[in-house]
Amino acid sequence: MTPILETRSLTKAFGGLVAVNDVSIQVEEGSTHAVIGPNGAGKTTLFNLLCGNFKPTSGRVFYRGQDITNVPLHQRAHLGIGRSFQIINLFPNLTVLENVRLAAQALGHDNFRIFRRASTIVSYVARAAEALEIVGLQGQASVPASVLPHGGKRKLELAILLAADPKLLLLDEPTAGMASEQVPELMQIIERVRSLGGRTIVIVEHNMNVVMNACDRITVMNLGQVLAEGTPAEIGANKQVQDVYLGELYDLPGAHA
Amino acid sequence: MAQNRLTRFLRSEWIYIVSSVLLVLFPHIVGWMTDSSPFGVQRGTRYIMSGSAVYWMSILIDIFALSVLVMSYNLMFGFTGVISFGHAMFFGLGGYLLGIVTQMTGLPPDIAFIAGVALVIVVSAVLGLGIGFATLRLRGVYFAIFTLAVSEMVLIYFGRWAVTGGEDGFALSTIPVWIDAAQSRINLYYVSLALFAGTFVFIRRLVNSPAGAVFKAIRENEMRAQAIGFNTLRFKLLSITIASVLGGLAGIIHALLAKKIGPEMLNVSHTVDALLMTIIGGVGTFTGPILGASGLTLADVLLREATVSIGSLTIDIGDSWLLILGLIFVLVVLIFPFGIVGTWNRLRMRFTRR
Repeated sequence: MTPILETRSLTKAFGGLVAVNDVSIQVEEGSTHAVIGPNGAGKTTLFNLLCGNFKPTSGRVFYRGQDITNVPLHQRAHLGIGRSFQIINLFPNLTVLENVRLAAQALGHDNFRIFRRASTIVSYVARAAEALEIVGLQGQASVPASVLPHGGKRKLELAILLAADPKLLLLDEPTAGMASEQVPELMQIIERVRSLGGRTIVIVEHNMNVVMNACDRITVMNLGQVLAEGTPAEIGANKQVQDVYLGELYDLPGAHA
Repeated sequence: MAQNRLTRFLRSEWIYIVSSVLLVLFPHIVGWMTDSSPFGVQRGTRYIMSGSAVYWMSILIDIFALSVLVMSYNLMFGFTGVISFGHAMFFGLGGYLLGIVTQMTGLPPDIAFIAGVALVIVVSAVLGLGIGFATLRLRGVYFAIFTLAVSEMVLIYFGRWAVTGGEDGFALSTIPVWIDAAQSRINLYYVSLALFAGTFVFIRRLVNSPAGAVFKAIRENEMRAQAIGFNTLRFKLLSITIASVLGGLAGIIHALLAKKIGPEMLNVSHTVDALLMTIIGGVGTFTGPILGASGLTLADVLLREATVSIGSLTIDIGDSWLLILGLIFVLVVLIFPFGIVGTWNRLRMRFTRR
């Protein structure tokens, strides 16, 4: 079976700095795949290459076997690829509902109807309400996005993704900046999305604990290259990974043995 | 059910309905109050355009034209987040193209007038689309500079072109009687009122439509709008094209009232006025541009002649009008950071939520 997302020898250099070096990974359809690594490992650069923000120096990106390396940003959403942002990236002065409704509208065929009230096209509003329900923001639908607390913005970020019903979700550090006690709640939402089925999720994450229980496969990056790949159990047991990453961060017993 | 909808419509729109009725009756109300005729003074078979009613209609026609210009600017700047410094070009071209077709082609006045208006619409749309297409890939400030450069080029060209009278411009003399400001000011009044009201309704519908929702999304966060799947360039082009056409139509009204067209219509000061009036009234609000345009025009009219005496010192406001305008602008920005209408809306929202 063709993987839903594949990179072949992906390389990105900023001048002399090679941030991502010859990375080839394959993401199976329906799986939840995490990319982890210490600071400066090239995770975010890899993410930007996957979602099309950066053009690679060399190498290609494939989606269901189709070369999407040069597909413009706005067309990727139409292919079924949704992405979240590490930095909060919303429409701050629009309401929570409108933020999500826009994402539902984007993939429909009503975008250039200029004599119809947007709020009367019920299907988009319903889809948006459904997405808000999944992330638990239904009570705040009519407030401006800017007044939500940080955790709420993170959830809204997810709801915007879900409203477009993407087949592939690219999540860039979904828990970035959240207080540690809020992280489990967000992971539960991701878990819920996963259990709804039919979606492939790629999570780029710094926080090891977040992904250990929530994914099927993990790719570990270090210094721009893939260090190891495997199931969470295999990665947890991998000596090399412990050395560069787990040991350094968490000082696991046995890491220095 | 139908009655329910009507009640809801009346409840939400009553202020616009009342304003429309007042504006329709305005020439007659002023005529009655000042004991003058809105049709002017009759001399044999002709009417001379003088008297208070005619004077006040002229001021309102001026306000309508300016409001359409400012509303169209607000569509780009306030709702789509695109800052253009070339909007005066469309205002001026509206006047010039109408003038050229009516004065220089030798067509019968009625046909020439309709052809002129059609030409203004087509040229404004094509030019707006062209400039947008060439430059909207550029971000923010580069687009602003490019539009300024193009509009200055047009200004210099018309300032030197002998056919249109160079710096002096030319008079708009052969236009159909029914819209001639010198023969039936009240007709011009109703035509401009129709354009003004039509523009208001149109922009409100547009902004509340799915396309308008994307305009606002682009204003808020263009990159995110792309990420959720919008080809933002297309929506910006739509916004700019519509704003350009409306700017051209505003120029037609201005030229019809002044009955003269000159390079001053292309002056960047019209763009700056539109920008300031949008900010004072409320960026991204529906009534803000109208409030900004009418407020500043009325202040100009009423205060031009006024003098203020402090002890032995007498200040002629007309002489220092620009200084006072600057002060008004600074005060409004300080007291109403989101413009008059924008700040009012925010306050109302805050109080209704509690």
